[in-house]
Amino acid sequence: MLARISYAFRETIASFRRNLTLTAAAIIVAAVALMFFGIALLIQSAFSNLLVKWQDGVEMIVYVKSGASPEQVTAIKSSLEQNSTVAEVSFKTQAETYEQAKKVLAGQPSLIATLSAEKMPSQLRVRPAPEAEELLPSLKAQFENEPNVDQVALATDTIKFYGQLSAFVRTVTIVFAIVLLLVALVLIWTTIRTAMFARRREIEVMKLVGATNWFIRVPFMLEGLFQGLLGALVSCVGLFTVNSLWNGSLKDFGTEDAVTNDLLALQVTGGYLQSVMLGILVIGAAAGAIGAGLAASKFLDV
Amino acid sequence: MIRLENVSKIYNDEVTALRDATFDVPKGEFVFLVGASGSGKSTMLRLMNRQERPERGSVWVAGRDVNTMPDSKVPYLRRNIGNIFQDYKLLLNKTVFENVAFALEVIGRPKHVIKQQVPAVLELVGLSGKQDRFPNQLSGGEQQRVSIARAFVNRPLILLADEPTGNLDPATGEGIMRLLDRINKTGTTVVMATHDQRIVNMMRRRVIQMDRGVIVRDQARGVYD
Repeated sequence: MLARISYAFRETIASFRRNLTLTAAAIIVAAVALMFFGIALLIQSAFSNLLVKWQDGVEMIVYVKSGASPEQVTAIKSSLEQNSTVAEVSFKTQAETYEQAKKVLAGQPSLIATLSAEKMPSQLRVRPAPEAEELLPSLKAQFENEPNVDQVALATDTIKFYGQLSAFVRTVTIVFAIVLLLVALVLIWTTIRTAMFARRREIEVMKLVGATNWFIRVPFMLEGLFQGLLGALVSCVGLFTVNSLWNGSLKDFGTEDAVTNDLLALQVTGGYLQSVMLGILVIGAAAGAIGAGLAASKFLDV
Repeated sequence: MIRLENVSKIYNDEVTALRDATFDVPKGEFVFLVGASGSGKSTMLRLMNRQERPERGSVWVAGRDVNTMPDSKVPYLRRNIGNIFQDYKLLLNKTVFENVAFALEVIGRPKHVIKQQVPAVLELVGLSGKQDRFPNQLSGGEQQRVSIARAFVNRPLILLADEPTGNLDPATGEGIMRLLDRINKTGTTVVMATHDQRIVNMMRRRVIQMDRGVIVRDQARGVYD
C-alpha cells in the first residue's frame, strides 16, 4: 500500500514539473474562477445582511433618539398607530437594537467595541396597511421632523434598489464564475491529456503488465486535485484580501449610526467568509480531481 | 492453457483478420505462429491478452473466457501473461533494473519482493552486471533480454512473443531463442509469432501456419514450410 502511495505522489510531482506552463495556466484560471464564485457568495451575504432589519413585512422604521423618555416613545407610537396607513407598530428597545447591530457588524469586532446599548436608538417598526405602501413617503415626511425622532427609514427605496443591485451583481459574477470554471476545467483536461500523451509508452506497458485502470488513473487525478486545490488556495488569499479591504473602507463611514447606515451593513458577517473559503477549497479539489479522472478515463484506451 | 474456438476477427466491418480459428495450447507447450505479414499472427496474440475482442467465437486463457470477462478483471488476467515485442517497448528514461522493477511496481508488489526478484530474473537473462545501464547503452539483443526479464519477472503462466527476433541478427536471435526455450522448460507456455524461417526450423516445435486469416497447417515438431 505504502509503495502504491509513494508511487502515485512521485508520478504526480514529476508530471507537474514536466508540464509547468500548462499547469500554471490551469491553476491561475481556476483561481480566478473560484474567486469570482466566492465574491458572488460574499456579495449575496452582504446584501442579505443589509436586509436583516427589514423583516416580517416592516416597511418603515422610525428611529427614536436615545435620549427620549418612555412616555415620549409611547406618544410617537400611539400617534403612528392612529394613522390609517399603519396596520401595526412593533417596538424594539435600545438593547434589542444593540443586539441587531452586533449581528449585522459581526465581521468587525473593533466596530462593535465602540458601540453601547445606551447610545443606540430604539425602533418603532411599522407594518403598513394593505396597499398603503405608496402613502409611506408622506408618513415619513410627517414623522421625520418630530423632536424625538432621529431619522425615518423606508424599506421601499432601499430594498428595491439594493435588491436590484444585488441581483445584477450576483448574476454577472456567477456567469463570470461559471465561464471561467469551464475554462479552468478545459485547461485541466488539456494538461492531463498532455501528461498522458507524454507518458503513453509507460501507460501502454502498465496496461500490458496488468496495472489496474485505477492505479494508472490515480496519479493523474492527484495532479488534477492539486491543480484545483492550488487554484482554490490562491483564490482564498484573494477573497480574504478583498474582504479585508472592503471592511476596512466601510469603517471610514463612522460608527455613530451603525444601525441606520446601510453601507455599514454591506459586509460579510462572522464565520461566513471562512465557510465560503472552505467551500471553494472543496469545489476546487473536487472539480480538479473529477475533471482529471474523466480525462484519464477517456484517454486511457490509447 | 489457451483455447480458441471458431474465432473470427473483423476490422472495420470489412477486413477479416482471422476466420474461424480453432486450436488448443496445453500448459507448457511452445508454439510458433507463422505466416506472411498480415496473415493474422499478431491479431491472434492480441486476442489472447484481450487487447482485442473477436466478433465471433471464444478465447479461453488460463481457464477463463476472456471475451466475457469484465474490463475490471482484465489486469488480473494480464498478470498471468508476459508480453515480448519486436521493438522491446522499454522505457528509455529508466535503467535496466527500473524497467524490470516497473512491472512489479505497478501491480503493487512490495519493495522487498522487487529487490529480490529483479536481480534474480536479470541473472536468468544474463544481464547481471548491466542493471544500471539505460536501454540506449545496450545492444538490441540485450534490450530484448531486458524486455524478456520484464515479461517474466512476475512468473507468468504464459509468454506471448510477437516477432522477438525481428530486429536482431541471426546469432543474437538464436541467443534469444535459447533463453525463451529455457523459460519454456520451467513450465511457462510460450506462443511466438514469427516469420523467421531459420529459427522455426532450428527449434522443431509445434507450428501453426496462417494464411490471410485462416489456419492452413497445425503441425507438431514442424518446420517453417
